[in-house]
Amino acid sequence: MDFRMDLVIDYMPFFLKGALYTIGVSLVGILLGTILGLLIGMGKIMRNKLLALPFILYITFFRGTPLFVQILLIHFGLIPLVIGQTNAIVAGIVALTLNAAAYIAEIFRAGIQSIDRGQMEAARSLGQTHAQAMRYVILPQAFKRMVPPLGNEFIVLLKDSSLLAVITVPELMYWGRAFQGQYYKIWEPYLTAALIYLILTLSMSYLLGRLEKRLATE
Amino acid sequence: MIKVVNLKKTFGDNEVLKDISVDIQPKEVVVVIGPSGSGKSTFLRCINLLESITDGHVYIEGVDITDKKTNINKIRTDVGMVFQQFNLFPHRTVLENITMSPMKVKKESPKVAKEKALVLLKKVGLVEKANAYPDSLSGGQKQRVAIARALALEPRIMLFDEPTSALDPEMVGEVLEVMKQLALEGMTMIVVTHEMGFAREVGDRVLFMDGGYIVEENVPSELFARPQHARTKSFLSKVL
Repeated sequence: MDFRMDLVIDYMPFFLKGALYTIGVSLVGILLGTILGLLIGMGKIMRNKLLALPFILYITFFRGTPLFVQILLIHFGLIPLVIGQTNAIVAGIVALTLNAAAYIAEIFRAGIQSIDRGQMEAARSLGQTHAQAMRYVILPQAFKRMVPPLGNEFIVLLKDSSLLAVITVPELMYWGRAFQGQYYKIWEPYLTAALIYLILTLSMSYLLGRLEKRLATE
Repeated sequence: MIKVVNLKKTFGDNEVLKDISVDIQPKEVVVVIGPSGSGKSTFLRCINLLESITDGHVYIEGVDITDKKTNINKIRTDVGMVFQQFNLFPHRTVLENITMSPMKVKKESPKVAKEKALVLLKKVGLVEKANAYPDSLSGGQKQRVAIARALALEPRIMLFDEPTSALDPEMVGEVLEVMKQLALEGMTMIVVTHEMGFAREVGDRVLFMDGGYIVEENVPSELFARPQHARTKSFLSKVL
């Protein structure tokens, strides 16, 4: 096997630019997905089953269908329907956000429901409203327990962002494929991309590990 | 002060409270005893609406808490509750456990809330634990903090739901001592407990519950010495 390191070095600016896009869409996806996921998770645990139904359906759809299908539906269907034409980056972020929100909603639900019922009862018995009890008593405790599974989800999302290459979001994998097309090389672009993904996911695990430690000692 | 009229509570098909009526006077200490499953805790939890009421009425200082228009959060600041499992907030320090609700619910300033909390901690003998986290406390200390936390809202009624049942025997005394002190200060209290000594010494009245009814009620000296009902006799013979 003749590994052309010189081509990899030549192409490095594109890989790095791609990596920035990967980081960018992932971070936005994580941020929006977390906010949306919290709302959907709270929606799902509403006592009124009829009100909770749309949230349950949402989670069922986005967890039960492939992300790849969702990306294509959103890129070629949803986004043109809403803004008249499609935009790969917008479609990519929307797809990652909506998909991650379904998983994050379940993480939030499990986190909230793992807190002993007595905590809510104590807070309510002290005159707090349901919302106050959630905010000051339940969520701070639930959040600690959510950090490890949330970290997993963030890493999955970062890796899944590679699927956005097929709708021409100029992220890391997009440039990997471009490299392959230009030089008819397999190992060079994909091993390089894999290595960069690995660096990104390892950095992320490291940061999440630090956060977990800090929360544990608080 | 508290008037319970024909209170009924069902969980699904299970009728836990069948027909409870009782009147509790200001400063009265009412002790509720009875076998497990008799509905004692459910009865207590209906008084601050931690359990929804199936039928009947509960009036707290004349206000019908079963009325949908009643602001239950406001009522609950007047009715403190202490739980068997303490239910302290583990992510907050002892001091923060106590100041949280006065600050968030009654909008007290942090300074005022803290001063009051320290007075209460002194009362329960735990000032030195103000900045500790609940996990570092013994069961008896946790329960004393829980009592201080409930008192921080300046309630006029205190409900105790088996406050010493989860404690190691050597810690029961310190909690009962705080409760006794509270009773002497004139707090209106309803105490669900298995501590017959406390019932006899501190209680003004004892209610014996069984099968969702108040089977018998009397002043403690009478009820313990001369129980009228067979079920009361049988229960007392087992626990005394």
